[in-house]
Amino acid sequence: MVKKMTLKLALSGLKNHLKDYFILFSGLTISAAIFYMFQTLAANPLFLKSNTYLSSIVVIFNLGTFLLAIITFAYLNYANNFLISLRSRIYAMYLMLGAKSRKIAQLIFLETIVIGFLAILTGIVCGIILTQLISRLLIKQLDLSLIHYSPWNNQAILVTLIFFLFIFVFFALKNARKLVYTPILKLLNQEKTPVRAHKNPLLWGGEIIAGIVLLAIGYWALAHLDKLNVNGIFMAIITIVSGSYFVFDSLFLAIIQSLQHRPNFALKRLHSFTLGQLNFRLRDLTKLLAMISIMFALALGAITVGIGFHRDIATITNVCSDYDFILHDPSTRELDQVNNLKLTDTSVYHYKIASNKVYWLVDDFNLKPFNHVIPNGSFNPIKYSHVTGKQMLKDKNQWLSILQSYLGDTSTILPGGFLSKKEFETKTGKEHIINLYVLKNFMAEKNQIKPLVLADNKKIKLDVNRDSTQKYNMFFVINGMLSGFEFMGLFLGIAFLAMLASCLMFKILSGANNDMHRYQILKQIGARHQLLEYSIAQEIGTIFLLPALLGVVHVLFGLQMFKVTNLIYEPYKNLIIPIGIFLVLYAFYYLVTDFIYQKKVLRK
Amino acid sequence: MTSIVAVQQVKKVYGKVHEEKTVALKNVNFQVETGEFIGIMGASGSGKSTLLNILSTIDRPTSGQVLINGYDITKLRGNKLSDFRAHQIGFIFQDFNLLEDLTVEENIALPLSLEEMSPKRIKALVTLISKKLSISSILKKYPAEISGGQKQRAAAARALITKPAILLGDEPTGSLDSSSARELLNTMTNLNQKDKISILLVTHDPVSASFCQRILFIKDGVIGKELRRNNLDRISFYHQILNEVESFES
Ligand SMILES: Nc1ncnc2c1ncn2[C@@H]1O[C@H](COP(=O)(O)OP(=O)(O)O)[C@@H](O)[C@H]1O
Ligand SMILES: [Mg+2]
Repeated sequence: MVKKMTLKLALSGLKNHLKDYFILFSGLTISAAIFYMFQTLAANPLFLKSNTYLSSIVVIFNLGTFLLAIITFAYLNYANNFLISLRSRIYAMYLMLGAKSRKIAQLIFLETIVIGFLAILTGIVCGIILTQLISRLLIKQLDLSLIHYSPWNNQAILVTLIFFLFIFVFFALKNARKLVYTPILKLLNQEKTPVRAHKNPLLWGGEIIAGIVLLAIGYWALAHLDKLNVNGIFMAIITIVSGSYFVFDSLFLAIIQSLQHRPNFALKRLHSFTLGQLNFRLRDLTKLLAMISIMFALALGAITVGIGFHRDIATITNVCSDYDFILHDPSTRELDQVNNLKLTDTSVYHYKIASNKVYWLVDDFNLKPFNHVIPNGSFNPIKYSHVTGKQMLKDKNQWLSILQSYLGDTSTILPGGFLSKKEFETKTGKEHIINLYVLKNFMAEKNQIKPLVLADNKKIKLDVNRDSTQKYNMFFVINGMLSGFEFMGLFLGIAFLAMLASCLMFKILSGANNDMHRYQILKQIGARHQLLEYSIAQEIGTIFLLPALLGVVHVLFGLQMFKVTNLIYEPYKNLIIPIGIFLVLYAFYYLVTDFIYQKKVLRK
Repeated sequence: MTSIVAVQQVKKVYGKVHEEKTVALKNVNFQVETGEFIGIMGASGSGKSTLLNILSTIDRPTSGQVLINGYDITKLRGNKLSDFRAHQIGFIFQDFNLLEDLTVEENIALPLSLEEMSPKRIKALVTLISKKLSISSILKKYPAEISGGQKQRAAAARALITKPAILLGDEPTGSLDSSSARELLNTMTNLNQKDKISILLVTHDPVSASFCQRILFIKDGVIGKELRRNNLDRISFYHQILNEVESFES
C-alpha cells in the first residue's frame, strides 16, 4: 500500500513536469558528456605524449580537470536546486497528508540517484558519440594532429562514473536531509517575501569604490605577471573575485535603483515592474553573477587563447623557414604539379657534388638573390635580406653552411665552395638542382604541397624533426606542439560556457513557479502579451548581460598576462572573433532560457 | 437607467472532453445598472468565483453572453482583451494580488504606466486616489510591510486609478479582520455614492452584503432570488439578509 503510494507519488511529479524534467535531464547529460570528453583527453597520456613536445601539458590537463570538476560541481548544485524546486511542494503536501518524512526522504534520495545515474549513462554514451564527431570535424577543420585520440576510453568512463556518482550521492543525501529538516510550511511556500535592502549610503559608496579598486589591482597584477610571477596570479584571483562580488553587490544595484527613481524611465510601460524584479533578483543572485562573470572570463579567455595558439602556429611557422617549400632535382611531373600552385617567387640554384664536396654556381645567386629571414627576437615583422652571390663570397663559410642545411642528409658530404660559371661547367661531378618556392599563402596551400614535400623528404633522407628549411616540416612540428593547447583551450572554453550559461538558466527557471503569479496579476491589470514578453526578455537579458559585460572586461585586461609573459604573440589580434563566437553561443543560451521561461510563466 | 453589465444565459461547465464534468453555472441572467452597488451571495461552491472570473475575463463561459459597458467580453481576444481589462474593469481579490517587489505607489501607478501617460499626470492621479483611500502615508512601502486592510485598499486604488466602468470584487474582505473589513466597505460605499462608481461584489458574508443596495442569491448555478435594500438602514438590511440566507440555503 505504502509502496504503491510512493510509486504513484514519484510518477506524479514526472507527468506534470515532463518538460522541466527533460530540461534538467539534458542539462545533467550534457555536463556528464563534457566531463567524459575532457577525460578522454586528460586520461590518455599516450595521446598527450605523442601530440606534444612538452611534458608540462599533462600538468595543464590535470589543472583543466580540476577546474572542470569545480564548475561541474557548482553547475550540478544549481541543477539540483531546480529539481528541488520542482518537487518540494508536492512532497510537502504528502507530508501534510500524513506520509512519514523518513519514507519521503528515502524517496527523494532514490529519485535523485536514479535521475543522476541515468544521466551519467546517457552522458557517457553522448560523450563517446560527440568525441567521435569532434575528432572528425573539429580536428580536420583546425588541422589538429591528434593521434591516439580514441572515443572509447575505459579510464575516462571510470573516472566520469565515479566522479558523478559521488556528486549525486552527495546531493541525494543533501536533498533527503533538507526535506526532513525543513518545516513543511517553508517547503509549501518557497516564495521569498522581498525585504527592503537597508544599505547605509556611505558604506554603499565605499563598496562601489572598493569593488573598482580591487578589480584595478587585479588587472594591474595580471599586466605585471612577468615580474610578479605566481604571486601575481594569487593576487589577481583574490582581488578580481572579491572585486566582482562587490561590483555586483553595489554598483549594479545602485544603477538599477537610480533608474527606479527616475520617473521618466520608471513610469514607462512595465519598467517599474522589470526594475523591481531586477532589484530583488540581483541581491539574490549577487554571488552567482560574480562567479559567472569570472567563469565567463575564464571560458572566453580559454577560447581566445585557443584561437591565439592557432594563429601562433601560422605566425611561428612563417618565420621559421626562408622559403615556403623546396624541391630537390624535381621531376617533370613534380614541376607540372608546382605549376598549379599560386607562386609569388621561384629560385633555381645549381650545385655539383664532387668527391663528397658541394660546389654552388655563384652566378645563380647574382641572378636571383637568396632570401634569408633575419631573426630579430620577435615574430613580426619579418625582414628578409636578399643575398647576392657577391655578398656570399665575402662571408663564404657562413653561407656555405647555411646552404648546406638545405641538402637534407649531409652525413657524407661537406661544404665545398662557390664556383663561377666557367669553373662550374668544367668541374667533374654530378650536377643537381634545388628549387626554392614562395607561395602566395602557405597556410592555404599547405595541403597541396604536402605530397611533394613528403616525397622530397624521402628523396634527401631528411630528419624531419630537426629540419627548419622545409616549412611544411616546421609546420608539422609546431602544429603538433600547439594544437594540444589549442584544442584544450577551445574545448574548455566551450564546455565552461555551456555550464555557466546553464547555471544561470537553471537558477532563473527555478524561480519561474513563483514568478508565474506575478505575470498573472499583470495580465489582469491589462498588460498586453507582447509587453509581458518584452519585459521578460529585458529582465532575463539584463541578468545574462551584466556578468557578460564584466566578464569581457576581465578578459580585455586579463590578456595582458599573455602579452607580458610572451606566451601568445599579439593576444589582442582579431579579438573580435573569439568574442563574437562566444557571444553568439551565450546569446543562444539566453534565447533558450527566455523561451522556456516565457512558456512557463505566461502559460494560460 | 442604463445597464453597465448584462449577463445572459451564462453557462459554465468545468472538465475537458474525457474528464468528469462539473456544472458550475447552469443558466445565469442578470443586469447591473450604472452606479449600482450590487452583491452576489451564495454558499461555498455555489459558483460565485466562477461567475466573477467570467465577468473579469479571466475565464470564459461555456455558452451565453456577457456585455460590459457595451463590449461583448466573451468575444474579446489578444490585445483587445488586454486593453479592455486595462480600461473598462478593475478588480480586487481576497488575496490582494499586489506585486510584492513593487512599492504601494509603484503598484498603483502600474496601470497608468501601461497607457504611456506622462509621469507628471501619473503622480498627480496616484496622489489623488491614495488620498481618497487614505493610504497616502504608506505609498513608499512594500506590500510585505503593511497590514491586510492597507493592502486591500492599495489594491482597490490600483483597480480604480484607470477610472474603470465597474469595480469587481471576489470576497475582498475575506482575509481582513472585521474592523478593516468595515473600513474598506465604508470606503467602497463612499466611492459608490460620491464618485458614482459601479461596484459588484461576490461574497458569502452577510455583513459585506449588507453594504450593497441589491443582492442576488446564487445556488446550484442559477440566481434564485433578489433582495433590495431600498431605504432600509444597514443593520435592518443585515438581519433581512440573515433570514433570507437561512431560508434560501436550506
Ligand atoms: N477549475 C475548476 N475545475 C473544475 N471544477 C471547478 C473549477 N473551479 C471551480 N470548480 C467547481 O465549480 C463549482 C463552483 O466553484 P466556485 O465558483 O469556486 O464557487 P464559490 O466561489 O462560490 O465557492 C464548485 O463545485 C467547484 O468545485
Ligand atoms: Mg470563491
